[in-house]
Amino acid sequence: MDDKHLLVFENVSYSYDEEDASEAFAVKDVSFTVDKGEFVVVLGHNGSGKSTLAKLSNSIFVPSSGKVYVEGMDTSDEKYEFKIREKVGVVFQNPDNQIVASIVEEDVAFGPENLGIEPKKIRERVDNALKAVGMYEYRLHETHRLSGGQKQRVAIAGMIAMLPDCIVFDEPTAMLDPKGRKEVMKTALELNKNADMAIVFITHFMEEAIFADKVIVIDGGRLLASGTPSEIFAQKEMLEKCGLDVPDIVKLAGMLREKGVPLDGNILSEDDLVREYLKILNP
Amino acid sequence: MIKDITIGQFFPGKSFIHKLDPRAKIILTFVFIVALFLCKNFFSLGLLFASALISIAVSKISFKVILKGLKMIVVLVVFTGILQIIYNDEGTLLWKPFQQFDFAVTTGGIFSAVFIIIRIVSLILFSSLLTYTTSPTMLTDAIERLLSPLKLIKVNVSSLAMMMTIALRFIPTLIEEIDIIMSAQKARGADLETGSLTQRAKALVPVFIPLIVNSFRRAYELAFAMECRCYTGDNKRTRMKEMKLGIRDYTAFLIVLLLVALVIATSFFNISSWFIFERVI
Repeated sequence: MDDKHLLVFENVSYSYDEEDASEAFAVKDVSFTVDKGEFVVVLGHNGSGKSTLAKLSNSIFVPSSGKVYVEGMDTSDEKYEFKIREKVGVVFQNPDNQIVASIVEEDVAFGPENLGIEPKKIRERVDNALKAVGMYEYRLHETHRLSGGQKQRVAIAGMIAMLPDCIVFDEPTAMLDPKGRKEVMKTALELNKNADMAIVFITHFMEEAIFADKVIVIDGGRLLASGTPSEIFAQKEMLEKCGLDVPDIVKLAGMLREKGVPLDGNILSEDDLVREYLKILNP
Repeated sequence: MIKDITIGQFFPGKSFIHKLDPRAKIILTFVFIVALFLCKNFFSLGLLFASALISIAVSKISFKVILKGLKMIVVLVVFTGILQIIYNDEGTLLWKPFQQFDFAVTTGGIFSAVFIIIRIVSLILFSSLLTYTTSPTMLTDAIERLLSPLKLIKVNVSSLAMMMTIALRFIPTLIEEIDIIMSAQKARGADLETGSLTQRAKALVPVFIPLIVNSFRRAYELAFAMECRCYTGDNKRTRMKEMKLGIRDYTAFLIVLLLVALVIATSFFNISSWFIFERVI
């Protein structure tokens, strides 16, 4: 173990069946690290074990074998349990099932209240957290009347109010419409940039991996590949085998390259493609 | 249809009533309800009814919402009213439709019917005003604080309050879910609206089974989410909103105290004979 990394997974395996842990592994021998301020995207198809990773990261689950460390604290050590949950927040898939209170600001206050912080400081944290996700104007609204994207942003604010160093997003966009998906993605990126918060973004939408510092691909509970987005997108066969689809723009760039257009390898978005193509047209 | 239920809803606002300490509101509501059962004449009842209406006006909750809430109890009100007319034979006889039956409409019956109806309506008005003007969390917080003496006999008041908060929080979510499941079952050809009462009750089984199964799944996920936010269930939690009784609350207490004193005085010490109002019960 070392303190350099914020979050360390060390040969982690996890089985839901405690009696017979030999067969049904949800996660098998996974190792990776997340550094301070890093944006990591974990890609995987349904049932690949990626949601189990989220629960392993803050001591909700304890590895069957291997270790998870948060800032040097072992998640299997009960005395660190709450310290770890303060450091690593998790936002889950279904926004309805993680909002505790009926009013936005009261829900955001739930975490700090559990930590036993004094009322005035809770107020401050709640206001800052709501401003960070752009939901401050909605602070007195009823949570059940918000849209899916807004609910998810409230859930994120609830995590920010605990002042974590890292937020793990467990498929936060899977149940949202495209607009809500964009809202949540934007919020995650802003947190990463403005607050220098480490983000672990678990998803099966390839487009969401474009902005990552590091992409990890999980299939059948095993870590298949890890690298920058362009490195990962280049491994088309591996991705197809896991049932993941390369974003259309990356595909298009690849096809153009095959036809002999001398495009740079680092094309991840429409803007990239247009810029690079213009470079070729007007050298 | 199900979404029309307004009982237990909260309408945010900034009125005098909204700003009252929720503990004060709960106590005052109880005082009013007790007073409603103590009052014995139209003068004191009218006083309480008027204060209910004035409180609603002060709270700036629209009367439309209030009427919608009252719609729920129309059947109850009408039924009790009719019972009063049938069973009260005091006063002068007004109408005796069937000679062979012992049934007559008397002034006493009508008076007591009106009395009871106003009493029930005021009861609903006061209690719904409490939930309309207090957020569910504030309400459960206040109940927690009012019940805190129970901690001495080792009741986990904090967990009780948490359960109430979550129950209230999930009411709209579950109502929405019922609507979705009903539509889904209708799309599969389920007939929920016609047939005898037993048939319709049976048709609801495929609505409630998925609802219950889903609730368990929700509870499971919510438990994870709460653990992630360091919830332990002990009494060490702090609260963002502090509760302090202010001058506003003392004013409200004073007003209500005067009202109740008037109600008791007119009901028990026959001071009502000073007024033109007659004793009814």
